[in-house]
Amino acid sequence: MFDGIAIAEVMRTYVLESAPVLALYLDANYRVAGANAQARRVLRDNALGRPLAEQIVDFSHSLDLPWLIRQGDTVHRLMLSTASGIPETLGFRFFPLPVGVLALASLDLQEQQELCEEVLGLNRELNDLTRQLHQANAELRELNQLKNQFLGMAAHDLRSPVGLIINYSEFVLDEAGEKLSAEHREFLRISLAAATGMKQLIESFLDLSVIESGQLRLELAPARVPEILAGVEKMARLIAAKKKITLQFDRADNERRLQVDMPQLRQVLLNLIGNAVQHSVPGQRVWVSSRWEHQNLVFAVRDEGPGIAPEDQAKLFKAFGRAGTKKTAGERSVGLGLAIARKVVEAHGGRIWVESTPGQGATFLFTIPVQEQPAQPIAQ
Amino acid sequence: MNQPLHSPFVPEETYQLYLAGLLANNRQQCRASFEQWLEANNGLRSLYEDLVQRSLYEIGDLWERGRISVATEHLATAISESLLNLAYPRLFAQPRLGKSAVVTCAVNEYHQIGAKMVADFFELNGWRGYFLGANTQVQKVQELVAEKRPNVVALSVASLFGMDALVHAATEIRAAFPEVPVLVGGQGFLWGGRAQVEHLPGVRYLTSLGELESWIKEGEIHV
Repeated sequence: MFDGIAIAEVMRTYVLESAPVLALYLDANYRVAGANAQARRVLRDNALGRPLAEQIVDFSHSLDLPWLIRQGDTVHRLMLSTASGIPETLGFRFFPLPVGVLALASLDLQEQQELCEEVLGLNRELNDLTRQLHQANAELRELNQLKNQFLGMAAHDLRSPVGLIINYSEFVLDEAGEKLSAEHREFLRISLAAATGMKQLIESFLDLSVIESGQLRLELAPARVPEILAGVEKMARLIAAKKKITLQFDRADNERRLQVDMPQLRQVLLNLIGNAVQHSVPGQRVWVSSRWEHQNLVFAVRDEGPGIAPEDQAKLFKAFGRAGTKKTAGERSVGLGLAIARKVVEAHGGRIWVESTPGQGATFLFTIPVQEQPAQPIAQ
Repeated sequence: MNQPLHSPFVPEETYQLYLAGLLANNRQQCRASFEQWLEANNGLRSLYEDLVQRSLYEIGDLWERGRISVATEHLATAISESLLNLAYPRLFAQPRLGKSAVVTCAVNEYHQIGAKMVADFFELNGWRGYFLGANTQVQKVQELVAEKRPNVVALSVASLFGMDALVHAATEIRAAFPEVPVLVGGQGFLWGGRAQVEHLPGVRYLTSLGELESWIKEGEIHV
């Protein structure tokens, strides 16, 4: 049989010190005058000696601790400041003593349960949203394929009649030009220029639709740098000469061979040179160079044009992602050339980028890695 | 990208490792088993049926017999549902057949993973499977049906308590869209409820994912 003192000792030693309950002794002024091991672990270091009310997080500023204590054996949900810095909601019971108050507080299981349900609910919502995102992406891919098919078909069907318009316009100008009035000849020339621009646009669309639908296969063959540039130089000089731009070629000086699709790569180079010329004014220079860096050949096309603003540089290689700068002679552009160039370079395993400071020209660079791999289809 | 639908079953060892991970609420262990299966380019159908569904049935059984807590059961479900996300890049890349299904749980039904797996099974078989989630009001289902014009609506119920809501939803959907058949199923039917749906015109009860797949493959639009 335990006597009263023994029971009190057991309560003090085992229940108050070991149970997962915070036990606080509050003095007559409701200051924390004593705390069990659990409470000392949870409370802030300076908790002892301070009023309990100051250690309760009370967003409503209406906490009346003496009134709560007078309510007797009722559980009060209060948020306690803790040593971790994160307030903990606890269920408090207050037991008035002859001098002071015993406060017992335990974790609010209801709140824990609610929090757990909330987290699981959020997890469900996140999973549902992830699924919707994957589904929407799949639908967008399908739509993109349809768009490419449509683009390809439309461009293909438009090419023939536009070709006829160009041919017959040229024919009439050649054969009957002398019989026409100067005004009518000018009308025909405008029509011819417009149709030629249209044909260029259609061919770019066709190139892009072929690339984006994953149908373009590179036909890789070994080639040396001089061979690649030789096929470009003649046409490039013609383009530059029309605008009185000086073109300077600087070749990587060695015999190493690359695996490239020569026509595609030449088209990329011509495109970059054409852009450089279009953004230059007569008398300026354009440099075409190549150099080896590790396992890559780096081609660079540099101009002395107006340069490209940083905010425009990122969008340049996207379809229709033209920069804000204007062509110096009002040349027309559909904004597809760099997008196509990027696809072709990436299909070779390289990358393309631009370096430019506004007012100081621009340098377009791309790499072609040394590799001995078979032709790869371009990934969508 | 074509996925092999009938690939080897999940090895018992992999399954037991996965199940042990779920019971211990060890997400990383489960993820490792799940990813190992995916990376080996094994079939998604086996992953759904032989790993996820089988383990969740076993977890549910353990819970019913009082062997595990509700918290463990909830976390195991949450882990499984999160892991399904890893399969989605492959799942949604299946070739499309131009058909679609709207899949949902009835109102007050919060056990949604079964319904989500049904929606995923439609995707696996070339259909679009639009999933509306747990506790879905009939009006919301009807709005999506009006928007997507699916070939079928599928409703899932995880407990018998949700049966009345499921019957109500099926009836309302059929009334608004008489041309759209309704499929029903789920663990709730283990304790009854079949008689409540069998007399409903245009509504069919399917017992398993396998039966659903047969229904899809037969191109059986009329119920």
